[in-house]
Amino acid sequence: MDTRIEIKDLSKNFGRKQALSHVNLEIGQGMFGLLGPNGAGKTTLMKIITTLTKKSSGEVKLCGIPVEECGKIRKMIGYLPQDFSMYGNMGAYEALDYLAVLSGMNKKERAERVTEMLEKVNLGEQRKTKVKAMSGGMKRRLGIAQAMIHNPKIIVVDEPTAGLDPEERVRFRNLLCEIARERIVILSTHIVGDIEATCENIAVLDKGEILFQGTVAQLLEGVKGKVYTMEVSTMELPMIQEQFLVTGILTGGSTAHIKIISEEVPMEGALPAGGDVEDAYMYLMNHDSASRNRA
Amino acid sequence: MFGTLFLKECKQVLRSMVYYIYVVAFVMFLSSQLGGELTDKMEKPVPGQGSYGTIVSHEESVVMGNIMANLVGETENNSYATYPLGFYKRVTLNEEELSQVKEIIENCTGKKWEEIIGEMEEHFSGYDQGTVEGAIQAQMEYRADVKDTLKYEDFCSSMEKVCQLIGAGSSYSSKKLEAGVGAPMSYEQALEEYEVFCREDKVTGATARLFCDYAGIVLSVLPIFLGVTRCLRDRRAQAEQVIFAREASVFQIVGSRYLANVCMAFLPVVFTAFVMQLPYQFHAETLGVAADALAFLKYSFVWLLPEIMAVLAVSFFITELTGGVISIFVQVFWAFASLFSAVGLQGDFALKLIARWNALGNTREFLRQRQELFLNRGFYFGLSVLLLILTFAIYEKKRREGGSIYGKIFKGRK
Repeated sequence: MDTRIEIKDLSKNFGRKQALSHVNLEIGQGMFGLLGPNGAGKTTLMKIITTLTKKSSGEVKLCGIPVEECGKIRKMIGYLPQDFSMYGNMGAYEALDYLAVLSGMNKKERAERVTEMLEKVNLGEQRKTKVKAMSGGMKRRLGIAQAMIHNPKIIVVDEPTAGLDPEERVRFRNLLCEIARERIVILSTHIVGDIEATCENIAVLDKGEILFQGTVAQLLEGVKGKVYTMEVSTMELPMIQEQFLVTGILTGGSTAHIKIISEEVPMEGALPAGGDVEDAYMYLMNHDSASRNRA
Repeated sequence: MFGTLFLKECKQVLRSMVYYIYVVAFVMFLSSQLGGELTDKMEKPVPGQGSYGTIVSHEESVVMGNIMANLVGETENNSYATYPLGFYKRVTLNEEELSQVKEIIENCTGKKWEEIIGEMEEHFSGYDQGTVEGAIQAQMEYRADVKDTLKYEDFCSSMEKVCQLIGAGSSYSSKKLEAGVGAPMSYEQALEEYEVFCREDKVTGATARLFCDYAGIVLSVLPIFLGVTRCLRDRRAQAEQVIFAREASVFQIVGSRYLANVCMAFLPVVFTAFVMQLPYQFHAETLGVAADALAFLKYSFVWLLPEIMAVLAVSFFITELTGGVISIFVQVFWAFASLFSAVGLQGDFALKLIARWNALGNTREFLRQRQELFLNRGFYFGLSVLLLILTFAIYEKKRREGGSIYGKIFKGRK
């Protein structure tokens, strides 16, 4: 049984604007992170995978089934869009039950599964809470419950942690990792921390193109030996920011402790440091943007 | 899945404030129009009554006499009532046009204008013009007879010329002539009409028709709000994407929503019709008539259900197409156009959305036009199905491509 998502030479145009350009990706079981700035084309890619947008060209297969076969694809995917909500006057149980009906589940299946999913996302005690009375975190948890209600092989979550407080964010990441054990979960986000905490395999998308695909370790490899920290005067900061890629600034009085990414030792007093995913991502984005500008 | 979705949609409609506004508005309108006592109009006529009411007559001599009387009256005042776009417009002719109309009248009646006016004044002087009843009676019974040798076809072509002078929407159009004229009933006619009323309508049939007449007016607009609310709900609740991505087919999603709204919109109609029929059902017994207890259901089903279906189908179609509330304006315009384009208040169903029969009884005339009503309602049933199929197509397209179709078309043109 094929449990992969294959994307070959995928392009999508909206009029003259190219949202995706010759994208090639292969996604296997587990958590897969799709990272990129706002407007990179992540949501367009998610929508093509979930049958909500037609591709302009290329090939997309989910578990061996072409995305054009909407009926079959919809059975195997669960989707949590960026701005998920449900009818405000419905309670958590009722909303989930309604969406379960739309997923073709019978009464008996729904009775078991809806309760189970509410417990899983920690909404068991809020089963009657109206959607309009839910906090952002509760809505996201309800969102992930609806995406999993019909036990799909693939779950697509688009910017799921945006707007959540740190505690909710951590809880949500853990939940995603838990559900990714037996299926493909694609996490699309511009928040590097989410990817770092949950995904082993990632892709970086910018301006409709894949800049990187591989493991987090491979991404980190890109900045190895290129991250430095140093103490500078705050007066010097603007000049340094113009010359180098500064990924961290910690100011204290007249001095600032900064983190720089540079191909060589940036200046005297700079000390080599270990880079994290955010540094690697920033380096990739900056490096690629510079090479594109040169081209 | 369809049945479960249908029930869930019904439940959602029941929770909607718009639905309760719909029910209250419907019941209030019907109560205000049908709240009065009708039973006194159902009594068996007795000889020597002052008036037996009117009947629609298609008899050529009656039509010609009646239409000519109206033309004489309007020409004498040089004030013609027209309804060019459904709204009243008073037309005044210049000297030349007025003399042309007078000439047509003289040709049709074979009398001089002064003679015709003299006869008219003589007729009206025979009634008590100081009372409303007297004035109405005088107006109702006034006829300006045409000459014996005038053929009906020639009369029609003369009226065509009058129409050209007055303009569109006058009382002399061929449509008006075809619709017949109101003529006072004789005792024999009234008795015959009463017998048909008891035999064919079984009392409740006539009251159900009157109910449908008033209900049809308000139902030409009210259901649109239910449809628009339902169609915009997904987007307003930010649930559109999640629903689009589910396994359910467009037939199951949109079909269950449409059917639930049709049923829920029809429910108060049937209930109100049933409650309003009850007094007349009991009254029928006092007249010695076995009332048709299901008349309210039969008439509502045939007369009002296709209208509700059509209005909701229009709202579903336009709202899914545009993603806005434009269908409300379209529907209000359509309802007004239908209401004001009526030649009379009884029959002339053609393809009008609002089928009117503003009379208690007049059963024989209704039976004569019943087939036309069936065709009219059949047309709206078919139109509803067609619009619903088009709505399925639009919804599926949006589901695959996102956004509103209208927006995409508009964007593509830029």
